[in-house]
Amino acid sequence: MEKNHVIELLPEYLDNLLNETQKKKVEAHLKDCKSCSQELDDLKILFEAFDEEKVNTPSDEVRTNFFEQIELEKQNNTKVVSLDSAFVQRKNNWTNNLLKIAASIVLLIGAYFFGQQQQEQISGKEIAQLADETQAFKQTAMLSLMGNKSASKRIQGVNFIEEFSEPDEAIVSALADRMLNDENTNVRRTAVEVLSEFTTSETVKNSFIKALKTEKDPGIQITIIQVLGKMQEKKAAASMQYLLEQDDTQPYVKEELESVLPNII
Amino acid sequence: MEQLTDEILMAKVANGNLDVLKILFERHHKHVFNFLHKMCGDRMLSEDITQEVFYKLMKYRASYNNGKFVSWMFTIARNSLNTHFRRVSNKTEDIETIDFKIAIQEEEKQDYSDLHLAINKLDASDRELVILNRFQEIKYDELAEMVGSTPGAVKTKVSRALKKLKTIYFQNS
Repeated sequence: MEKNHVIELLPEYLDNLLNETQKKKVEAHLKDCKSCSQELDDLKILFEAFDEEKVNTPSDEVRTNFFEQIELEKQNNTKVVSLDSAFVQRKNNWTNNLLKIAASIVLLIGAYFFGQQQQEQISGKEIAQLADETQAFKQTAMLSLMGNKSASKRIQGVNFIEEFSEPDEAIVSALADRMLNDENTNVRRTAVEVLSEFTTSETVKNSFIKALKTEKDPGIQITIIQVLGKMQEKKAAASMQYLLEQDDTQPYVKEELESVLPNII
Repeated sequence: MEQLTDEILMAKVANGNLDVLKILFERHHKHVFNFLHKMCGDRMLSEDITQEVFYKLMKYRASYNNGKFVSWMFTIARNSLNTHFRRVSNKTEDIETIDFKIAIQEEEKQDYSDLHLAINKLDASDRELVILNRFQEIKYDELAEMVGSTPGAVKTKVSRALKKLKTIYFQNS
């Protein structure tokens, strides 16, 4: 095994690449080992053959061709340079260029603002038109829903009014009609709640006062009383008085009326 | 200029001074040619690829990373030879078995030295290491970088390749 190690070190030994320790180890081994010495002698002969191997020279064509390629490559580079010099020349007219650039910028900005204004006008119209269409659509949807046989659909329709910022008379009347005449308590209550958002409307006020007389559900009666109380609607006083005098009016409704009435009058 | 290292000269080339390539060519074209010639045994092909190697040095000058110039140059030479033999080899042949050499005919043998004929009998990877290490005096750590190995492994491989070569050489002579 020791022998193999030395054989592997022999090329480096001949190249003088070993450190002192390794070198001494190899030399010591070589004294005792005949086969390793033989290896070393053979390797020396081989290395001499390497040294004697003549260096072949390629034909001059290789040089000629390559130097031509260098010139070609240089030309490709100078094309870039010539473009650069043309650019430098143009730079001399910089005031002229600056004016051109300024004019283009002004044109650009002008065109932009003109276009923007046009766009705003068009889109403004479009939005108004769209809003009209939406309003009309919602109105139709709401009215048809309120005419539905299903009470829950009618409630849905009544609730639709919250989508309108300024509901028109037709919608308010339809709602008031629901509040006064719907057979379902829940629909009537929802109509009261929704209508209480639009107390500035005369139609709404009158409907509330009218409902005070016709409404038999105590819960709804109390809601109406409260809304009218907040409004401090004096016209409602007579209807409230009427309700107070009715025998079938629930005691707690009467209590509510008694607490609200003094504030109105 | 003539005394500057390869690395400084190549850096100048990378910066666009293409004439400096002529100095590098004069210094190294014989090494590249002889490496290729020992590898493949074909003079014409070796000349073509030598020219190709220097053309690539010029073309890819911007990608020179200031490493050891000779390693870079021989890496390009190896790859160019590799590409050539892959291109001409039969498509069905396994790339690993390509030997990167032409068959030297019996009557041509007087054109080659005994050493060259012996080297020609090594397999491609041994041949490459022996040529680069013995003829081109490429150090073990640079060799390792070129072939993607460690200096220790390359050292062992070179040593074993030389042992094989020695056996072949003394059988023939």
